[in-house]
Amino acid sequence: MNSLNFNIDNGYLEGLVRGFKGGILKQTDYLNLIQCETLEDLKLHLQSTDYGNFLANEASPLQVSVIDDKLKEKLVIEFQHMRNQSVTPLATFLDYITYSYMIDNIVLLITGTLHQRAISELIPKCHPLGSFEQMEALHIASTPAELYNAVLVDTPLASYFIDCISEQDLDELNIEIIRNALYKAYLEDFYKFCQTLGDSTGAYMSDALAFEADRRAFIITINSFGTELPKDDRAKLYPRCGKLFPDGLAALARADDYEQVRAVAEYYSEYRVLFEESSNNPGEKTLEDKFFEYEVMLMKKAFLDQFHFGIFYAYVKLKEQESRNIIWIAECVAQRHRAKIDSYIPIF
Amino acid sequence: MMKITIITGGMGSLYRSEEMASCQLFLQAEAAYACVSELGELGLVQFRDLNPDVNAFQRKFVNEVRRCEEMERKLRFLEKEIRKDEIPMLDTGDNPDAPAPREMIDLEATFEKLENEMKEVNANAEALKRNYLDLTELKHILRKTQTFFDEAMSDQGMTEESIVLLGEEAVKTSGQPLRLGFVAGVILRERIPPFERMLWRACRGNVFLRQTEILTPLEDPVTGDRVHKSVFIIFFQGDQLKSRVKKICEGFRATLYPCPETQAERREMSLGVTTRIEDLNTILSQTQDHRHRVLVAAAKDIKVWFIKVRKIKAVYHTLNMLNLDVTQKCLISECWCPIRDLEKIQMALRRGTERSGGSVPSILNRMETKEQPPTYNCTNKFTKVFQDIVDSYGVAGYREVNPAPFTIVSFPFLFSLMFGDAGHGTLMLLAAIAMVVFEKRILRQKSDNEIWNMFFDGRYIILLMGAFSLYAGLMYNDIFSKSINIFGSVWHPTSGEFSAEIIKTHKDLTLDPTNDTDYRGVPYPFGMDPAWQLSLNKIKWLNSFKMKISIIFGVGQMFFGVVLSLQNHRFFKDSISIFCEFLPQVIFLTCIFGYLIVLILHKWIAIDATDAGCAPSLLIGLINMFLLNYPEEPCSSRVPPGQKGLQSFLLILIILCVPWLLVLKPYILKRRYQATQQKSSSRLGTSTEDGKSAEDAIDGAIQDDSHGQYEEELNLLEIVVHQCIHTIEYCLGCISHTASYLRLWALSLAHAELSEVLWNMVFRVALKVDGYLGVISIYILFTPWACLTIAILLLMEALSAFLHTLRLHWIEFQSKFYKGDGYLFDPFSFDKIIESRADEV
Repeated sequence: MNSLNFNIDNGYLEGLVRGFKGGILKQTDYLNLIQCETLEDLKLHLQSTDYGNFLANEASPLQVSVIDDKLKEKLVIEFQHMRNQSVTPLATFLDYITYSYMIDNIVLLITGTLHQRAISELIPKCHPLGSFEQMEALHIASTPAELYNAVLVDTPLASYFIDCISEQDLDELNIEIIRNALYKAYLEDFYKFCQTLGDSTGAYMSDALAFEADRRAFIITINSFGTELPKDDRAKLYPRCGKLFPDGLAALARADDYEQVRAVAEYYSEYRVLFEESSNNPGEKTLEDKFFEYEVMLMKKAFLDQFHFGIFYAYVKLKEQESRNIIWIAECVAQRHRAKIDSYIPIF
Repeated sequence: MMKITIITGGMGSLYRSEEMASCQLFLQAEAAYACVSELGELGLVQFRDLNPDVNAFQRKFVNEVRRCEEMERKLRFLEKEIRKDEIPMLDTGDNPDAPAPREMIDLEATFEKLENEMKEVNANAEALKRNYLDLTELKHILRKTQTFFDEAMSDQGMTEESIVLLGEEAVKTSGQPLRLGFVAGVILRERIPPFERMLWRACRGNVFLRQTEILTPLEDPVTGDRVHKSVFIIFFQGDQLKSRVKKICEGFRATLYPCPETQAERREMSLGVTTRIEDLNTILSQTQDHRHRVLVAAAKDIKVWFIKVRKIKAVYHTLNMLNLDVTQKCLISECWCPIRDLEKIQMALRRGTERSGGSVPSILNRMETKEQPPTYNCTNKFTKVFQDIVDSYGVAGYREVNPAPFTIVSFPFLFSLMFGDAGHGTLMLLAAIAMVVFEKRILRQKSDNEIWNMFFDGRYIILLMGAFSLYAGLMYNDIFSKSINIFGSVWHPTSGEFSAEIIKTHKDLTLDPTNDTDYRGVPYPFGMDPAWQLSLNKIKWLNSFKMKISIIFGVGQMFFGVVLSLQNHRFFKDSISIFCEFLPQVIFLTCIFGYLIVLILHKWIAIDATDAGCAPSLLIGLINMFLLNYPEEPCSSRVPPGQKGLQSFLLILIILCVPWLLVLKPYILKRRYQATQQKSSSRLGTSTEDGKSAEDAIDGAIQDDSHGQYEEELNLLEIVVHQCIHTIEYCLGCISHTASYLRLWALSLAHAELSEVLWNMVFRVALKVDGYLGVISIYILFTPWACLTIAILLLMEALSAFLHTLRLHWIEFQSKFYKGDGYLFDPFSFDKIIESRADEV
């Protein structure tokens, strides 16, 4: 794939996604949104943006969950349209994007069944981008091996699951381990796939995926403190395609508390800043928010270059961030809890 | 041209846009709604948003807007339901006035009631349908499983041979039937393969699945879509497998039904189901009838309701743009309106005040403003398309000369020069006449076809283009690439020299124009002589003629454009531009191309066949004029004696025009600026002497100067740059634009050649065949010829000629005088709002 032939197959879609990107809310839109008094105001303002009449046919009073569903629906419609128009390798690339949602859905369903929730109650909570045929039959499985043999073997996630089969049964911790192991395998596979595409796609996506991998490694480490997860098991969950690999990951594997994690990040200029600026004090940004901010910055960068697939990934990620922002503001408005309303993450 | 606008427009002229006034409206709070709605009906007032900084949801009437949106949502819901039932919606063309605010509550109540009723009916219908679906599925299950069981029975009753083959186990199972449990259900057909695979995997192959398709598609109760489903029955052993199978069924959204084990029970159940289905059918049809009645009643009014709600919404949107005065009793708005229609607007306001029963009248005040007013050209259905052509290049500045009225004639004319074929012109004319005659009927149909609408909107321009092409075709004497000999050709071979035999045996013969017997001596009275159509040097002759014609008309149009710029300068009292721009421009153009036209006319008139050998070459002549090169040639003696001097003089004028155009205007402006500066500084001196308070004077002067000086200084640089660009653009433009007008010739040639090729390659083949075969071949070949003529020559060629004409107008013509830096008058008008919404739907 090179720049010369890119437009033959992907020109239309690239144009489309750039157009979609133009519809992403700007800082001024957010400034208007946070002034809203009620969700009706929010709806009125969103009408004047690219979202248009997406809420026009919803009866009042508006619920935050309805907004959330509609936001998702809009993204899914756009994404599905692109997926349907695309040809390989872009089609494969777009499929890869959906795998992460599939992993989330699987984990959600297993956790739900573990807590004796009815499957019909769980299905609407799944992200529509990651739905697959066998999804709803997930709850027949009670062990990972069964899960694999009965359900996942037909899905594209099958190859990622091989490592988890050995787990004994499905409890909270194991599910978390499965999720992270799946994610690790997925990220590494996606990374490899992007490398085979080469060119700017390879370059941009390796940045994006390396960041994703490193973020997961940090978060896994931080979250593992105080749990019974042994260190060598933890080390197995680190995705090995980030900038932290191999030395940083080795250091993370030894870390015992937050300060040590921070010390690891010291060696990496881009992460050091994030750790330095974050804090758990109220009123300041949390580490998670800083990661999101950094991600937004990375994704925006993808749009500076032409003829690569990174923008599709970036668009989905930015749109997701935008949904998070809108939902955050909507929640604040709905619960009349305006103090933290401006801790959304502006995109443009 | 002006006559047309006066007759059809009935008012004003297209020459310059309407005079606009910036007005302030004071509306009493209680009368504001009625007044604005009256203005909306009138559609002559453009409101300015006086609260641009206020968010959409912080405006005064946001609640009303929201209520309207809610009503619209309900109406859309009803419309969707009506469409679903395929009930025709009556479009009576009624245009009700915007209802009063208190009627809004009634409307809301009506819609609320309808929506609730509809929802209730839908919920009922859905429940019934679901019930119905369940029963039908059960019916199918009972029927299909019957066949499964029958097969199973026949398996049991198979020949002894098979029993032997199956061995002891088979005997055992058949001996103890019902050991196997089973579930039966219905599943979407496309889900069968993964379902089967999953069952096999999850139960390790220990289940037995039989499935068969339900042939008739079933209706999904929620969406109303038709779905294909399959009946399946799964046999298994043991409770553990049972729960697992059930879970899988649930996961794949299969519906399970209880299925009795014995045949008698099944039969009984089947009977019960059938009767229940029949009962349900009657209830369902009653519900449907009720639903239908409600919807039919709604369908009658829905269009009118839509219009009403949209009008209310538009009024409140407009009211949101107004300012509330301090006392809260009065709304203030600023607006643009045409001065000519002020009377009408006053009337509308009075009506609005009366309708609302207010005692204090609404006041319309004209006010001064420095803003550029919007451009408003009053058009009608005939002039609109021409105005649109101009506007799509750029909207004329306020009161600038509008090229549209000239375009009405020049556009079809230039088009016809390129599309000159009387046959094609006639077809085009007929098509346009049909569209014009059936205009009303077509308008009523409201087609959604974009391409058709484009043609239909341009019907008047097509009409003129067709008529002009017909004329140009007659001038070129070109009808489907053939000529007609109306007046009798003036060329005729003399009988002596060109006897029939010679004509038959010789391929080429030359007719001599100097010979009296070959050429009558006077030209053909109208257009081209048909003899040219047969001649070998037809193209040579036509090229020379069409090229010259193109230059003459092109330069004429450019010259006219420059004259229009004079009109602009005079109108805006810009005398500097007249002397520093218009004058050198005219001289420049006349000295080069005006002179060229003179040469062309001279060549046509003064030189005839006898001295054809000494005809001057125009191109070489023009080049030599610039090179000051007059070589000795055999015919040099025939050059008029003063020509050399005249040409040198013209050349000097041309060269002088360039610095004139380039330098003079910035220079004069600079002098003027210096003069004003001196004046202001001297005023500063005198005023202090006068003993006035020095501080005041200085303050005033500083204020004046700091404004003026700053602006002037900035402008000066800009003016110089602008003038440079203008000069270069004009001087080079004149030359390249003249060359550009040669496209008139080029396209005309292409069109003529194409139509000739089509005739020769397709239709003439048929004409060459003799006898009955000829009749058949004409019959067969006419269709491809006619189709190609329409597709290539009428549609494609016309499109290309249209685009070239467009270019000639936008660039070659309008660049001479047209700035196009205005903005369109966008009045608040209900008609426009409703129309645009109708497009969206």
